Amino acid sequence: MLLSVIRKNKSLEAKRNPAFDTNRFAKFMIYFMVAYWAAILLLLGVLLPPLFEEVSPAMEPYHIMNQGLIYILLADFLLRTMAQPAISNEVKPYLLLPIKKKKLISTFLLQHGISSYNFFWFFMFVPFAFITIIKFYGFGGMFLYLLGIWLLMVMNTYWFSLCKMLFNEHPLWILLPILFYLGLGAAEFLLKSHPISIFTMNFAEGYIQGNILTFILTIAAILLLFWINYVVQKKILYDEISKVKDTKIKHVSEYKFLDRYGLVGEYMRLELKLVLRNKTAKTQFFMGFFIMIAFSCALAFTDVYDGEAMQAFLFIYNFCILGLMTLGNTMSFEGNYIDGLMSRKESIYILLRAKYYIALLFLLIPFAVMMLPVTQDKVSILAPFAYMMLSGGFIFALLLQTAVYNSRTLPLNANITKGNRSTSKMQQLISAGAFGLPIMLDTLLALPFGRMAAYWIEFTIGLAFIITHRYWIKNIYKRLMKRKYKNMESFRATR
Amino acid sequence: MITINNLVKRFGEKVAVNIDHYTIQSGDMLGLVGNNGAGKTTLFRLALDLLKADEGNVMIDDIDVSKNENWKEVTGAFIDDGFLIEYLTPEEYFTFIGKICGITKDEVSERLTRFERLMHNEIMGQKKLIRDFSAGNKQKIGIIGAMLNRPQVLILDEPFNFLDPTSQSVIKHELKAYHEETNATILISSHNLTHTVDICPRIALLEDGHIIRDIQNNDGSAEKELEAYFNIEE
Repeated sequence: MLLSVIRKNKSLEAKRNPAFDTNRFAKFMIYFMVAYWAAILLLLGVLLPPLFEEVSPAMEPYHIMNQGLIYILLADFLLRTMAQPAISNEVKPYLLLPIKKKKLISTFLLQHGISSYNFFWFFMFVPFAFITIIKFYGFGGMFLYLLGIWLLMVMNTYWFSLCKMLFNEHPLWILLPILFYLGLGAAEFLLKSHPISIFTMNFAEGYIQGNILTFILTIAAILLLFWINYVVQKKILYDEISKVKDTKIKHVSEYKFLDRYGLVGEYMRLELKLVLRNKTAKTQFFMGFFIMIAFSCALAFTDVYDGEAMQAFLFIYNFCILGLMTLGNTMSFEGNYIDGLMSRKESIYILLRAKYYIALLFLLIPFAVMMLPVTQDKVSILAPFAYMMLSGGFIFALLLQTAVYNSRTLPLNANITKGNRSTSKMQQLISAGAFGLPIMLDTLLALPFGRMAAYWIEFTIGLAFIITHRYWIKNIYKRLMKRKYKNMESFRATR
Repeated sequence: MITINNLVKRFGEKVAVNIDHYTIQSGDMLGLVGNNGAGKTTLFRLALDLLKADEGNVMIDDIDVSKNENWKEVTGAFIDDGFLIEYLTPEEYFTFIGKICGITKDEVSERLTRFERLMHNEIMGQKKLIRDFSAGNKQKIGIIGAMLNRPQVLILDEPFNFLDPTSQSVIKHELKAYHEETNATILISSHNLTHTVDICPRIALLEDGHIIRDIQNNDGSAEKELEAYFNIEE
């Protein structure tokens, strides 16, 4: 009974989400992407058997597929980060109803287990099993194999739920899945016997052969994860209800150095606090920051990307990735307090400038890191200057245009993947443009004019945008103010 | 002075606000009362240019609020949490508002002293972000934030909501004193008839978006009329 009510409510929630309901483009994109991936999986399910036979004639294709099961489970885990909300976020609205918490948490956990998403990989496994397993084990073997795969996906659901729940409690819990998968990777690749792939191959064969112990072990793992999820969830809920958490902050940062920049400095301070004090903004920022550092390190310390095209790709995104991750959402977090901002004169204009200056400041990090390959003569000294200017001028100017069109509030502290995430058509186009244009521009300039001339042109374009930033930011501000009523209504509707 | 001219706001079929003409003189303290859905908050949002009027306009000191932003310099408002930057501490929030209104940090501290009774040692120095305060304390922070720049036009939506009786009384006295000191134009909406009658010399009764009565409230004379309208029986 409770389960069917929850399932019905979840379906209504998805249908009536204002961000989804009013955005036909987002709706179309979601259905399109699901159909696209289903088609890809179907294709893989059909193409992989002959490919595996060719690669390793001594083995059956399902042996090879089963050796790679851990990769599929890892891919499934990563995909869930985009689709599966944390249970704690879902349980909250039901807490005050006269339902036992034990029953409530268990029902939500069960709902995740029986979710139709757990069948998504069947688009690949059904044709694959049909081609490779039936001829040896008949339909019974195929059915048992698919049952086993489904159980593994259910197990992955609970593993992911646990990781996400803990991560929501403290970002450092991200180390749990990282260390787990690193451990598996180390065992697989450092030991000559490749124990992980051998284990998954034998284990999955147990499904096909109907080995009861294999099923019992899988179900036991599911039950164990279900129980751990339940215990952790219950503790988190009780902590939250009884407000066990100390809400006092230990140190109130003042960023006094910004005092000298007047009102813009005040908004820069606000921007820094937005990024550092809110879970969603912080996660988004640090994801961009870590990718930027990873790109920088790859450039500075490895020779892997010495090819010119890959080098240009890494150089450009090294500079603009953080801006792509943050400026693309301009105004979405501000939607939470847009009324307060709009009731002050020109506050949005100064806010936009502050955001731009903060993004520019962070460009100094990849610039400093890029000095390493410069000193090693891997790249011209012009490259870091050209790419920094191109990012700070041209790309950031493009990204800030999203401020005009972003009209959906992003929750400051809910999970980044939960609710209200869909974006406007224009925002998607601008972000896609900002992501694709720089590399296209770089290639188009380098081909006819040569690499050094391309650097100079990029430097000049970027510099022009940086020098004129007040004008184009003012232009963004004026266009935003023309759309303000529409945007404000949407911000309120999605708050 | 605030002037409302042929103001109409519709949400689909529903007409939320429909006011032909209404003037609030400088220095007036107006209470806006009406049942849920009468259009009080919508009217405030229109007056603050947070909603687009379908027809007509609101003028603050002869400035059409939708055409020019200069009225923002003399206006303070608090409607709901959408005015609060919840990831700041109250001190940071007040400093931020002070800065954008051109008030120094020291001046902000000095201005906050008049609200000490209202804050009741529960707001300043707590090392807590606004989002972690109770609804009542958030309400106080919002109201103080709106009054910090000593606005000539003050708009408060349901200022007594979430507050304990003592704080309601303090707010009432604070608003009265502020009005006497500054002769500011103050607009307050409230479901609390007693408080509204106590502090507002003029009361507008709103029903289905129309101002159906404009009551001069001399020495609490509006109370009976409002009680009759809202059908409050002993």
